[in-house]
Amino acid sequence: MSQSAPSRTTDANRGRHAILVGLGTVIVVATYLYLVLGRPAEVAESSTSQASLIAIAGYVVGAILLAAGSIHRLPTATIAMVPVAIALNIVVGQIVAVLGIPVYLDSIGTVLVSALAGPAAGVVTGILTNVIWGLTLSPIALPYAVVQVVIGVMAGYSARIGVFRRGWLAPVAGLVTGIVAAIISAPISAFVFGGATGGGTGAIVGAFQAMGQSVLGAATLQGLLSDPLDKAITFTVVALILAALPTRFRQRFPFVRQYNVLGTARRSADRNGA
Amino acid sequence: MASTLYVARNSPVHRLNPVTKLVAMVCLLVVVFAAPFWWVSGGVVLLVLVPAAILSRCGTQVARVSLTILTPIVVALFIVQGLTFPGGTTSLWHWWVLDLTTEGLMFALGISSRVICLVVASILFVLTTHPGDLLSALTERGMSPKFSYIISSTLQLIPAFRDRADGILLAQQARGLAVGEGLRGRVRAMMPLLGPLVLGMFTDVEERGTAMEARGFGSAARRTSLTSVPDSTGQRVARWLMPVVALAAIVLPIATGAL
Repeated sequence: MSQSAPSRTTDANRGRHAILVGLGTVIVVATYLYLVLGRPAEVAESSTSQASLIAIAGYVVGAILLAAGSIHRLPTATIAMVPVAIALNIVVGQIVAVLGIPVYLDSIGTVLVSALAGPAAGVVTGILTNVIWGLTLSPIALPYAVVQVVIGVMAGYSARIGVFRRGWLAPVAGLVTGIVAAIISAPISAFVFGGATGGGTGAIVGAFQAMGQSVLGAATLQGLLSDPLDKAITFTVVALILAALPTRFRQRFPFVRQYNVLGTARRSADRNGA
Repeated sequence: MASTLYVARNSPVHRLNPVTKLVAMVCLLVVVFAAPFWWVSGGVVLLVLVPAAILSRCGTQVARVSLTILTPIVVALFIVQGLTFPGGTTSLWHWWVLDLTTEGLMFALGISSRVICLVVASILFVLTTHPGDLLSALTERGMSPKFSYIISSTLQLIPAFRDRADGILLAQQARGLAVGEGLRGRVRAMMPLLGPLVLGMFTDVEERGTAMEARGFGSAARRTSLTSVPDSTGQRVARWLMPVVALAAIVLPIATGAL
């Protein structure tokens, strides 16, 4: 039995949602380009620049538009799965933070949802993870919502091109996603938090700055040290979880069937074994 | 909603409409970030946030949570940027590659004053606003009820998730699983249990989805809300005035040439 999208979406609504998604993407990309190309020297001079306002405002507004445009594409079965994924993100992320390991592991749920239900679902999972983290644990997570959105989008498109069909491709996709995530989150770390979101990251940023990097450069390098590894591990864990889910559950998602996310090799094995 | 920071008190701040508080918080943050001078943020904290915290009767909780979050960041900021700020020219003390500069300290001051505003304002908002009220108020104003569902559901799921993990752990211990001491040992013991935990939760999702669809969840029809959130004309006026102030804060520094 398959779940299908609500049939009452009119063409006008679909157009409006596509515009929201497009606008959100444009705002996020424009914010990033402006911050990195337009104002890198300013942070080196002083903290009094409007770059921090633009960083927060651009990223938050962009993320909200993306989420508002994506939520209507999701059928009820996917929406039922999102809270579980967010809870997974937060509980695992919280455990890892307490243990003090230099990774985050707070996007396992986002990547999993994207692989099963597409990038739109990943966008919603990502942004609401940060909103709920901000409501329950620490408001520091709120400006970083756009990073989870990007992770969701990239995971969804990776699933589409078949990354989860072969075991070894998943960590590679995770690595690439981590690089993009580090690059996108560096302006927030640099312009809003001055490079210090905690003791460990602060020390690394300080080391890079002592070597001659600007605040933005140091924040980017610090991100590139931890994000790619973290996302590679995340993608691998998700690949393992996907392989372990019962086929009946996996095939329930139109996205999985349409893009052959998990490959057809297993089906013959199941027919013989089960 | 077991896992939010919300603290129930009877105070004027608690009684405000959640959307008013949300607009106030956003405008406050816009002002603080648009006029990014440390004395603007300091003024906001002293003149707006501290009185609001006292008025809300949960000032001690606000202080405690904010300090827990802020201390590592502010300390790290002053040390890191004080000592290694790339734009620093007036050096106060020098050792090897480390250079204590006034520019670095001023940078740290500016950034930390804004971060303090951000954290305290958010904490105050979260402590005084019941999430259910906030979601009802936003849904009335046009937010998709799907967001409400997801947020409410997650807030209930997080403690359930933890309880389930504890239950699995106890069951395995009854079968002789050795658990190391401390948190690290517990987590290492939990690793082989995460599989059934995660898979169990995801297969629950099927039943959940069917139940929701049977109750017309995906329908686009407009719903009548059961909980009504109080509002007043004064607040409605304030909700229009505050963005104007925020806009002025964005425009003024540029117009007067301070930036």
